[in-house]
Amino acid sequence: MSRHTADVVVIGAGILGAAAAHYLSRAGQRVVVFDRGAPNREGSGTTAGNLHIQAIHPSRPGQEVPADNGRFLPLQVAVSDMWESVELELEASVELRRHGGFMIAETPHEYAELRAKQAMEAAAGLPTELLDGDAARAALPLLSRTVVGATWCALDGYANPLKITPAYLASARRHGAQIHGYTPVTGIAATRSGWRVTAGGDTYDAPAVINVAGPWIAQVARLAGIRLRMTPVAIQMHVTPRMPETMRHLVQHIGEGMSVKQVTAGNVLIGGGWPALRLDLDGRSVASVRSAGGNLALAARVLPFLSGVRLLRVWAGPLAATPDELPVIGEVPGAPGFFVAGGTYAFTLAPLWGETLCRLVAGESPRVQVSDLGPDRLLIDTQSDELDLVANQERALEGAVRDSVQQGSTRRKEQA
Amino acid sequence: MSDRDVLIVGGGPAGLSAALSAAQGGLRVALVDEHTELGGQYFKRRHPAVVARHGDFRPAGTRLVTAVRQAGVDCLTGHLVWGVADDGATLLVAGPDGAPHALRARFTVLATGAHERVLPFPGWQLPGVVTAGLALHLATIDRVPVGRRVLLAGTGPFLLPVACALLEVGVRVVGVAEANHPYRLGRHAAASLRYPARLRELAGYLATLVRHRVPVWQDTYVLSASGPDRLRQVTLGGRHAGTVEADVLCVGHGFRPNVELARLLGCETRPDPVVGEPVPVADVVGRTSRPDVYVVGEAAGIAGVHAARARGQAAALDILARTGRAVPPARQRRVHARVRRLARFAALTEALFPPPLHLLDGIPDDTEVCRCEQVSAGEIRATAGLAHNGLNATKGFTRAGMGLCQGRECGTAVACLTRAANPHAPAEAFTARMPVRPVPVTALGVPPRHAAGADRGRPAGGGTPGGEVVR
Amino acid sequence: MSVHIHVDGRRVPVPEGISLAAALVGSGHWTFRRHAVSGRPRGPFCGMGVCFECELTVDGQPGVRACLAHVRDGMRVETCPPTDPDDPSGGDVLAAAPGAGTTEEGRGV
Repeated sequence: MSRHTADVVVIGAGILGAAAAHYLSRAGQRVVVFDRGAPNREGSGTTAGNLHIQAIHPSRPGQEVPADNGRFLPLQVAVSDMWESVELELEASVELRRHGGFMIAETPHEYAELRAKQAMEAAAGLPTELLDGDAARAALPLLSRTVVGATWCALDGYANPLKITPAYLASARRHGAQIHGYTPVTGIAATRSGWRVTAGGDTYDAPAVINVAGPWIAQVARLAGIRLRMTPVAIQMHVTPRMPETMRHLVQHIGEGMSVKQVTAGNVLIGGGWPALRLDLDGRSVASVRSAGGNLALAARVLPFLSGVRLLRVWAGPLAATPDELPVIGEVPGAPGFFVAGGTYAFTLAPLWGETLCRLVAGESPRVQVSDLGPDRLLIDTQSDELDLVANQERALEGAVRDSVQQGSTRRKEQA
Repeated sequence: MSDRDVLIVGGGPAGLSAALSAAQGGLRVALVDEHTELGGQYFKRRHPAVVARHGDFRPAGTRLVTAVRQAGVDCLTGHLVWGVADDGATLLVAGPDGAPHALRARFTVLATGAHERVLPFPGWQLPGVVTAGLALHLATIDRVPVGRRVLLAGTGPFLLPVACALLEVGVRVVGVAEANHPYRLGRHAAASLRYPARLRELAGYLATLVRHRVPVWQDTYVLSASGPDRLRQVTLGGRHAGTVEADVLCVGHGFRPNVELARLLGCETRPDPVVGEPVPVADVVGRTSRPDVYVVGEAAGIAGVHAARARGQAAALDILARTGRAVPPARQRRVHARVRRLARFAALTEALFPPPLHLLDGIPDDTEVCRCEQVSAGEIRATAGLAHNGLNATKGFTRAGMGLCQGRECGTAVACLTRAANPHAPAEAFTARMPVRPVPVTALGVPPRHAAGADRGRPAGGGTPGGEVVR
Repeated sequence: MSVHIHVDGRRVPVPEGISLAAALVGSGHWTFRRHAVSGRPRGPFCGMGVCFECELTVDGQPGVRACLAHVRDGMRVETCPPTDPDDPSGGDVLAAAPGAGTTEEGRGV
């Protein structure tokens, strides 16, 4: 065992960890990143890659608490500009496409929701346009007759999830950050001047720790004696083989879980947050055939050309959801220097969250106000019954952590 | 649907043998195969028009298929099993028209066969470079010569019958480049004396090649294939290095079991000792870690047609015994002994013809490894060498293995290149995912296009997408 | 006994009952399609429905694997997508798609 020091230890090499490492190392901080597996292999690498700039659809299929999509809007507005410059900043192509997107309605009720959403967006300074069904079809002839209206946002887009995280990591590495894959963190202890993180058999002393472990956020926090209430789920994606360019926009549904777009390579990605069969934090989550059928049928109803395509692959991945479906970002009260970030729409918000974490660590104020999104609201009161409610879930997850620790130590032995 | 006792996936020698024995023993059996005809690859059947011109091919296969149909087996040809549901109790099937079906039975027998392995080399994606299996099918099933001047290369005893079949349809076979050195006297040759029938077969092929003055170059392998828009020239390396003019190159480095369904069903697998790719753990009768799932034939490990038939029969007899039918123990013992004996022969073959994985170390960085997504060896090496990326991370970053073949053609090579670039990467195979082959979305219950509009009482709208759409 | 198929508009006599892949190869056609990435020619490879290299358009239906299909009298086969003579990409299928790039221009905000 050897001892190291760093300015910031980042736990999790998904998109948030990678973005944070990029901003921090560029600002001159000595950054060490740990991941229990390969970087970008979980939620960040299995997500759809949508850049959601118009207000989000508030509920995934099966989601119990609808998201307060108004709270997301200032974050989306702020991050939109950041995405525009991301390729320049990282000196890498991430297949960024800003071809705009439609959010469609199929019922008068949904159309009324679109109208209210558009007013909310206008008030937040986000330019969107409300179209009736014919205008929507004139703009995108692929839309079916069932569409009664749509909002159009020119800023919606796509970035390749398999490129953006590696690009952030490469930039961080160029600025001196160390990235350790297959190195689960096994201990986090408070010290007089910060935190001591144990990983790969070594210790790392740092004044700041950033926990961006996605679905493992609660488990990692617990290593530091912090009890957080997270509600990770697994959702799934569907992809067709490469097709000739057919559609350039992101198409979403205001009333049901659906997002469809064609990516740079030509494949059409069909998602919408449909639940996978099983969240498996130990291996690969298992996709649900029922969700696949539901998601594809909905997509084909809205975009009838999809009823004639082939399905190439279905995959499932974890989503680090919070109980209130809002993002979490900030310092844990009572644990100075221990920061957490996660929650849904982390992909869209990643540049903003990376920069925000960097500023919070430095004691500066972020570009948008996030004080209400801090982890305080997710802290579990260890005196209450709530602890019992989460105990089952945690037991299952502890097993996953234990196994990954064992795998890690086996691998280290092999390497030694 | 659950009134069936046995559901057999795959209508090749193993599946047909299992179906016949099970049905003759009184079980209600369904046999599902994605192809429009039963027979699989080995017993692939000629079209009646070709039979009328040239006679039947492998009549034993015709007899077996006829017997299976006569035994009352429900033969679902043109049906692709693409996934599993209900923890494996239900198999999801796409019908010939892309319609969704779900099949259940008390026992599932996976006889999903294998596909030919080809290790990439520069130019392997050129038209005119084909698998040995393709050339064989054209020569035997269609009676069409694949080319005029044909070179065979790779490794395995399979190259010899293919060369002979090509000679029979008038092809000029310029040579057989065998990457290994199996045809010599030695320990393995002595061991093979215990299998006189197989040895006679092999000697027959070699004699035919000698008669036609076809050289067999051992310790010789393809360095590259080249040509403008199709193959013109092959450069060989090894003992008989040089260039060979040919219009077709047939290449094969053995076979890979089709194990996706077994993996999706959660059957335990182990890495095969030579390549490290997962093969299902199964006993002599094909029982897997799942009590209701058997795996037989090449899907259980490459062993050839005789072993496939014996394994299919062994599985059927075991199911008959488990369901209370009287199975003479002597008959079971005989079949088990045959399975074991043929497994030993397969091990001998494997030892003589190991896939020359070391050749992958030498392929240049610009070699196209993933044919579907056009990912080069250099991209894979660079990605795998970075940030502790394993096989699946490398797939994610490079798209290698993400195309229509779902990694079947490049899987061995991507895994080997990843291991070479990053010795610390964990041992992995490409994650098994649904669908096991690309399927029309209608197979998941999406209404076909005309119905989609009709459901809503309005014509379906939309533009005119190209390509992928099945009209 | 011969039947006739139409390959990119040309009438080709082929033996009855053989696979479409055999018919094309036997009549000297080796380019079945062009790759979506590079536009380079591709021909049949595995011959057993695994590699999808031999996909082409039959009677208007794209994505037909020639190795699994049998010839039929009057069958219409399109190998490479039609190439626009002005298209510098030389028949890159992505550039030849109908409806591509028709909707986003002029959508102001």
